[in-house]
Amino acid sequence: MAELSVNDIHLDYGTGAAANQILKGVSMALQRGEVVALLGPSGSGKTTLLRAVAGLESPKAGTITIGERTVYDGARKFEMPAEQRNLGLVFQSYALWPHKSVNDNVGYGLKLRKMSSSDIATRVKDVLGQLGLGQLGERFPHQLSGGQQQRVAIARALVYNPPVILLDEPLSNLDAKLREEARAYLRELIVRLGLSALMVTHDQSEAMAISDRILLLNNGKIEQQGSPQSMYQTPDTLFTAEFMGSNNRMKATVVRREGQQVTLDINGSLLSGTPRGSSFSSDATALIRLEQVKVSDSRGINSLRLPLSTCMYLGDRWECLFHAQGETGVGIRAYTAQRLAPGEYWLDLPPEALWVF
Amino acid sequence: MQTLSLPVADTTGAPSWLGRLNLSRGVVVTLTVIAVFLPLGLIFYQSFLSAPFFMPVKVFSLDPYRFIFDDPDFRTAFLNGFILATGLALIAVPLGGILAFLMVRTDLPGRNAIAPLLLVPVFVSPMVIGFGYVVSMGPVGFYTLWMKGLLELVGITADPWNVYAFPSIVIIAGLTHVPHVYLYASAALKSLGSDVEEAARVAGASPLQVMRNVSLPMIMPALAYSGVLVFFLGFEVFGLVLVLGDPEGHLVIATYLYKLTNKLGTPSYHLMAAVAVCLVAVTLPLVMVQRWLLKSANKYVAIKGKGSRQKPLPLGGWKWIAIAVISLWLMVTVVIPISGIALRAFVSNWGEGVRLADVLTLQHFKDIWDQPTLMRGILNTVLIGVFGGAIAVVCYCGVAMAMHRKPDGITRLLDYSVLVPRAVPGLLAGLAFLWVFLFVPAVLDNGLKWLVENTGSQVAAWLSENVIPQLRALRSTIFSVWLAYSVVWMAYGLRLITAALLQVGPELEEAARAVGATRSQVTRDVTLPLVRYGLIGAWLMVFLIFEREYSTGVYLLSPGTEVIGAMIVSMWGAGAVDLVAALSFINITLVAIGLAIALRFGVKLHE
Repeated sequence: MAELSVNDIHLDYGTGAAANQILKGVSMALQRGEVVALLGPSGSGKTTLLRAVAGLESPKAGTITIGERTVYDGARKFEMPAEQRNLGLVFQSYALWPHKSVNDNVGYGLKLRKMSSSDIATRVKDVLGQLGLGQLGERFPHQLSGGQQQRVAIARALVYNPPVILLDEPLSNLDAKLREEARAYLRELIVRLGLSALMVTHDQSEAMAISDRILLLNNGKIEQQGSPQSMYQTPDTLFTAEFMGSNNRMKATVVRREGQQVTLDINGSLLSGTPRGSSFSSDATALIRLEQVKVSDSRGINSLRLPLSTCMYLGDRWECLFHAQGETGVGIRAYTAQRLAPGEYWLDLPPEALWVF
Repeated sequence: MQTLSLPVADTTGAPSWLGRLNLSRGVVVTLTVIAVFLPLGLIFYQSFLSAPFFMPVKVFSLDPYRFIFDDPDFRTAFLNGFILATGLALIAVPLGGILAFLMVRTDLPGRNAIAPLLLVPVFVSPMVIGFGYVVSMGPVGFYTLWMKGLLELVGITADPWNVYAFPSIVIIAGLTHVPHVYLYASAALKSLGSDVEEAARVAGASPLQVMRNVSLPMIMPALAYSGVLVFFLGFEVFGLVLVLGDPEGHLVIATYLYKLTNKLGTPSYHLMAAVAVCLVAVTLPLVMVQRWLLKSANKYVAIKGKGSRQKPLPLGGWKWIAIAVISLWLMVTVVIPISGIALRAFVSNWGEGVRLADVLTLQHFKDIWDQPTLMRGILNTVLIGVFGGAIAVVCYCGVAMAMHRKPDGITRLLDYSVLVPRAVPGLLAGLAFLWVFLFVPAVLDNGLKWLVENTGSQVAAWLSENVIPQLRALRSTIFSVWLAYSVVWMAYGLRLITAALLQVGPELEEAARAVGATRSQVTRDVTLPLVRYGLIGAWLMVFLIFEREYSTGVYLLSPGTEVIGAMIVSMWGAGAVDLVAALSFINITLVAIGLAIALRFGVKLHE
């Protein structure tokens, strides 16, 4: 059953003529034990949706249900205050209370639930132990590292066993290096504790790594949703395709279309590609992931010949930029194992990976 | 390669610029230090003399201290002052904190409309407010009689309250000092991210619990600071106790000092000075504690929630309780006293059994119109606010620029010097300046006479005949009042100006230095133009403060130096209630005009 369901939520900032529509009818469901990522560029409304679920923003219409309880119903003008929703929320800034120790930060929710102080101490100790913070209970937030602060914030949200835990950009406040470790840690923690989680992020690799399902928001609407694999491998729209990976984007003219095959004219070369999405005109956009482009010396079945412009060293591989002569010429990036010598190369674009929108 | 040849800044010219700069800074520093320490030094000196300083027979002695310590009235006054200050802080701090939380962090309906009203008690003279309570809630006050009527309807015949009792005075003083706490608490709350409050909400805290467990504890440094501030202001309370404490004879130190004038019949400056030193001995440490707390409070601001967007906390059902609390406070602290004065100014007399329609009159204003002294007082009050305020801002600006981004010993000296007048209650400062205007010309004259006798210097004789009388005459010009006002409010004015100066990013000034401007050119071409709106705002605030001021002018009051505040004090002593009411009404009107202009131009009433 769905732990959380959101139905046709509309939300504006401001009122009347100055109203700025942030959410334009978003629906979603979160099953028990599932991790859903709300992904989108800034301004897409992902954080607003999370805050609306938490009760920190007031929607205009729609319904929000947590388990059996309706917490928001626009038709009935019913809105349950945030403190009664019994959710766990991890803030982007962590929002730890600087005047309370780690124990008091974590135990506050239990104190509000009128638990005895000895029970609180036991429960807080358990949770801090689970998060590997066992020795830090007496410290104050400013005495902790960024990673430890983040874990205290998670502990504070988990301590009263909320049915759903909400995470607002949980990793964005960490250093780049620490972020990868924290990503693995967070995924492991969610699986180990069997949490139902809704996470906001603007980083698609973070979303794919941690979540079971991704909701991609664009301009207040859900653009596409699905498993990380389907979002990455079979995007329905250009927006999804572009957002989910690193891409080469090319202007293309459709020459011919035969079922699941399209013949394109890209920079004077005829190439075949796979149509995606519902419709496109004769001026289409062709898209291919960087890792799908194969560089070779000889002509393949679906190839484009371009001169090498420059190579960049990425550590485990090289990223090479090929660029046709002239200002408007097509440019393609590809990964190679070695540094390439200057000259012209054949770039093989497999038809099933060359998407046409 | 051909380089563009530009005249290089003349390095030999630099020392002369530097020299000029240091000269102007030196003048500012010297004048400030004299203006601050001369009056205070004089009080200190006088307190150790056996008789007033102008008497021919006087010796150094501890008699003044012995006298006042033996006086039971002094001991009572000191104890009362302590109780008043403590009670006042206990009332004002929690209420101010709650008020700030409601106004800044919640979706309380109508909070924008209420905001200016909250500051009324800061800008209306306590003397006027005290008088307002007398005419509204005194034994025959408007509200008392109406309340009595209501009580009689339900069959009770009793006085509903007694504003002259000491606990009533403490409560009134506490309520009227709530805005001071509110100002600091709201500034601190504004810099607090909403995320820490939202975290508490999501954890299950109601708005009341959010306030008690998160918001107010997080601004504890600001609350501690304002707590010390109002405790300190409690020791300075003069007007309220003068008006409300009189009928039952409740004294605090300031009113004891004021009554001392008439106690012995002869001018007892030595005793007054001893009382003054005792009072400063309490207030000066408090000012230093405030300074220390303010510094640590600023440090604390660095640790705060990072969410920059502020979202008001929805109050839900708590809304009605919040509205009730604020309305009650506004009613008691603003509406009742001000409406009482407004009514009293337009009735010929008031008492039990008088019908309002029968006694309405404009006679009090006609009386004021007919008395040149009173009209001059009103004119003086306007002049000292408008022009005196502007000159004061220019002076404060000079001091601020002497301290601006020059972290050295002189800045520290100025920093502490400007705090000292803060510790001197207005009544004392006025007294000290009166002594300065009496003492300095006398000492100078004696010196010059001595020179004439011993060296036969023509210059000294000329100075003695022409300049000294001019100096003496200064006392009975409005200049003396302006100087006292400006020094008393120096710390406040400087805070306004340094707040504006801090808005100018250091890189803007450094950029000007980098392209070749000298310090004084930077000041003239970059800093001052950038803060001009801040300075205009400071002018308005100083105007409001100068209109409100009453105690500083009390001892300086003489023909030519009348200001409304001081005249109200002296006419209250003479029992001219009708004129006091009319003058209070005019005073409130002036303040209201200033406030309206300030609000119209969006001047931040919170520093």
